[in-house]
Amino acid sequence: MAVGWLALVSLAALAVLSMASCGGDDLVIGVSTSVRDTGLLDELVDEFKRQRPDQAATVKPVAAGSGQLIELALRGEVDILIIHLPGAEAKLIADGDGIDRRELMHNFFALVGPPDDPARAQSTLTMAEALKRIAATEKTFISRGDNSGTHLREMALWRQAGIDPVGESWYQESGAGQGQSLLVASDKGAYTLVDSGTFVVFQERLELELYVSDEEPNQYSIIRVNPDKHGVNEAAALAFAEFLTSPAGQRIIAGFGLEKYGEPLFVPAGPGSDSEPAATPER
Amino acid sequence: MELIWDGIREAFRLIFTGNAEVYEIAFLSLAVSGAATGIALIIGLSIASFLAFRAPPGRTLALSLLNSGMALPPVVVGLVVAVMLWRTGPLGQLHLLYTPAAIVIAQAVIATPVVTALSVVALQTLHPKLRLQVLALGASRWQAAWLLFREARLPLIAAAMAGFGAAISEVGASMMVGGNIKGSTRTLTTSTVLEVSRGNLEAAMALAFILLVLVYAVMLTLTIVQQRRRAS
Repeated sequence: MAVGWLALVSLAALAVLSMASCGGDDLVIGVSTSVRDTGLLDELVDEFKRQRPDQAATVKPVAAGSGQLIELALRGEVDILIIHLPGAEAKLIADGDGIDRRELMHNFFALVGPPDDPARAQSTLTMAEALKRIAATEKTFISRGDNSGTHLREMALWRQAGIDPVGESWYQESGAGQGQSLLVASDKGAYTLVDSGTFVVFQERLELELYVSDEEPNQYSIIRVNPDKHGVNEAAALAFAEFLTSPAGQRIIAGFGLEKYGEPLFVPAGPGSDSEPAATPER
Repeated sequence: MELIWDGIREAFRLIFTGNAEVYEIAFLSLAVSGAATGIALIIGLSIASFLAFRAPPGRTLALSLLNSGMALPPVVVGLVVAVMLWRTGPLGQLHLLYTPAAIVIAQAVIATPVVTALSVVALQTLHPKLRLQVLALGASRWQAAWLLFREARLPLIAAAMAGFGAAISEVGASMMVGGNIKGSTRTLTTSTVLEVSRGNLEAAMALAFILLVLVYAVMLTLTIVQQRRRAS
C-alpha cells in the first residue's frame, strides 16, 4: 500500500510541476507598492506585453516596499527595480549590484493632516518647520514604519527638524502600505507624510488636507540588477527599461490618472510628456 | 453599512456583466485551493492511516505536532516556501516562484496538517478490529482502505472541508509566493487586499462577497455528499 501512495504523491507533485510550464527566462520586476497601488504598474505592464508579445508570458511584477526591493536585488531575486529610495539606490550601484540607473518619473511628498489643523502646519513654509510644530503640540503623527521610500524620507525630514520622534506617545507607526496609512491617519485625525499620487487617489475618502509640500521631489528610478554579478534575465530587463523610458512608456505615465482624477499622478522624467505640469528638477 | 450594500451590488454587477478578469481570478482561487486540498488529502490520508491503524510508537508526539500544525500561520509558510523557491534557494532551479504552482505548494503545506490531524481522529473512531476483519474476509489493502474511508466518511469529508477552508481563506502565503500578478497569480483573497490598498473599497467588498459565495457553493456540495444517505 505504501508504494501505491508514494506513486500517487509523486503523481501529484508532477502535476504541480507541470503547472509551472513557463519557468526559465522569467522577468521579475520589483516595484514599489505606491506604483502598484495607484494602478500605474498594471497599465505599463499591459502595454509592454502588447508591444513585446514574446515577453508577455514571462513578466512577473512583484510589489514590495523599497527596503525589501533592495534586499531582493542584492540576492539577485529580481531582474529590474522601479524604486524611490535615492540613498540606497546609490549604494546598490556603488556596490556593483545595480547598473543602468534611469530616472523614470517623480511626484512630491506632502504633509497632510486633519481639516482643523490643530498644529497649525498650514502657515509653515518648510516641512521641517511643520514637523517641529507637530512635535511641540504633540499632535498624533502616523508613520509608515516599514522602511519604504516614504518612511525613509520622513525620517530624513525629522532629522532635519532635529527631532527624534520614535517612542513618543503621539508618534505612531502603522506598519502598513501608503493607502492604508492614509485611512488610519484620516480616522485618527492625525498628520502623515504621503506621496502626492497616492493622496490624489485616496483624497475622496479622506478627511485630510494637504498643508506642506516637500522641497525635494519623490524621484522614482529604474535600476537593472547587474547581470555580471547575479543570474538575471538581462535581455528582458533591458527591453523593459527601454520601454519605460521610451516615448510610449513616458506617455502612459504622463496621462495616468488624468481621466479619473483630473490630474496626473506622476510627472514623467523624459521626453514624450507634453501635458506635464511641472518641470523635472535636476538632482 | 452602506459600503456593504454597495459591495454586494458591485459583486452582482461583476458576476452578471461577465467581467472576464473576475471570472479568471475566481477560477484560479478555486483551482489552486482545490489542487492544494487534493494534495493535502493524499498526503493526509496516508499519514492518518499509518498513525491510526499501525499505532506506531511516538504517535502522541506526532499527533501533537500535527495539531500544532493546524495553527501554522500562513505568512510563516509563505516565507519558508518563498525562500526555498528563490532563484538562489534550494529549489530555485524549478522556477516555481510567482506561479500558481507555488501557491498550490504553500496552500498544501497549510492544509495538510489540518486534514491529517482531523483524519487521524476520524479513523480512530472506527472499531479497532474492523480493519483486521475486513482483511480477514479477503479484501486487498486498497479495498480495505477504501472501505474504512467510506465507513468514516462523515468526519473525513469534514476534514477535507476544513482543509479547503484553510487553503482558500489564506492570503499571506499566496501574496508572498504568488506575487499577486495580474492575469497569473491573483486570487480572490490577494486581489481583495490589493483593492483595499488601492482604496477601491466597493471592489474589495465585491470580491469578498464572491469569495464567500464560492466557498458556500463548494461547502454545500461537500455537505450534500457527506449527508447523502448511504446507498444500500
